[in-house]
Amino acid sequence: MNWAALAQIGGSLVAILLISWAARSMGLGGDVRIRDEAQARRLANEAVDGFDPVDIVVDRAGIGALLKDAAGRHVLLRRHGAQFVGRVLDNHIEARLDRNFLTIGTGERLLPTLTLDFGTRAQVWAAGLRVLRI
Amino acid sequence: MSHALPNPVDYAVPFFIALIVIEMIWAKRRAPEKYEPGDMLTSLMLGLGSTVASVLTGAAVVGMALWAYHYRLFTVPWTWWAWALCFILDDFAYYGFHRAAHRVRWFWASHVNHHSSQHYNLSTALRQTWTSFISLGFLFRMPLFLLGFDPAMVLFCAGLNLIYQFWIHTEVIGRMPRWFEAVMNTPSHHRVHHATNPRYLDRNYAGVFIVWDRMFGTFVREEDEEPVRYGIIKQLGTFNLLWSVFHEWIGIARDVWRAPWQHKLSYIWRVPGWSHDDSRDTSDRLRARWVERRGSSSLRLPSC
Repeated sequence: MNWAALAQIGGSLVAILLISWAARSMGLGGDVRIRDEAQARRLANEAVDGFDPVDIVVDRAGIGALLKDAAGRHVLLRRHGAQFVGRVLDNHIEARLDRNFLTIGTGERLLPTLTLDFGTRAQVWAAGLRVLRI
Repeated sequence: MSHALPNPVDYAVPFFIALIVIEMIWAKRRAPEKYEPGDMLTSLMLGLGSTVASVLTGAAVVGMALWAYHYRLFTVPWTWWAWALCFILDDFAYYGFHRAAHRVRWFWASHVNHHSSQHYNLSTALRQTWTSFISLGFLFRMPLFLLGFDPAMVLFCAGLNLIYQFWIHTEVIGRMPRWFEAVMNTPSHHRVHHATNPRYLDRNYAGVFIVWDRMFGTFVREEDEEPVRYGIIKQLGTFNLLWSVFHEWIGIARDVWRAPWQHKLSYIWRVPGWSHDDSRDTSDRLRARWVERRGSSSLRLPSC
């Protein structure tokens, strides 16, 4: 690699950092939230093809949701930047209940645990998740 | 090589950056959620890393091109019609490569990072692979050298092809005029290509000319009633750069390690999503389920 190539790469890196800083300064990305159960249902169906929930609980701040289908599968929706990602939960999950708050980890190292406020329904859902770990 | 030509992409980079800034301003006014700073940073770093990888492996690729050219069947002259023919045939070679990049997991492992963003904007265009040399994707252009096209001409055309594909990574443009949509790859056609909706999966592989997809039965038009959702079937859920680059390679390694001996190679060369115990979904299966849910028996299901 010659000096010209190194200078080009260095210049590109500076430009990338400047554009990224500009994107943050402009407030791009917005503040996306799950508004209601209907949206959570749609997002889960998109994330896991054909997933048809029979029970849904949405975090009070709208940053995540838990959904369960008739077969007992649980899907966790979580905010990722300006989008949402969904994961089918399995026996690798971790779940901790603290009054109205349920902290859930998927077992994936790069997806940090997520604490969701499910209000009075948190206990019921925590019990449902405990079954998955058996 | 008889001629030395610059890499046209080097000259296009300032225009790429200017257009990204313009699109960001559009997003700020119309739809701030269309751009996500973390996602954009990952995309641009993938582009930079891809450039570094090209610098490191470029000499080897050119060496192999020259080697193939040495055994050429003909010598294509350095004239206007040869340039036009070269551009068209290079685009056809790109179609073949791109189709394989979606239908063979080994090639997909390299190509997937172009698709792993859940956004679709001009920064997504720069989300290029770091591992194309490992995946051997450059082999798809070898027939052109063997036919007798000068490697400098082919590589220049490949650069022009890449530049063309930049502007189609946008939601700012709806549809182009009908005649243009009929022949050329457009933002609308390429949005379909980046979709995770079952009806759109693994379609519209074209680089410049959409006619290849129309010819080989892999074309699907964007439908207004079904907005495109972007990304991959199992969204990454992280902006981690290294995971974005290597996650599918790691997935292959894990699968090959765990699979019974008779199935190990299948995890490399079969379609992404294939598994020996049928526990995963391929794009064909997802589409078949979608058709079943719609109760439509009239939809053609080409297996590509």
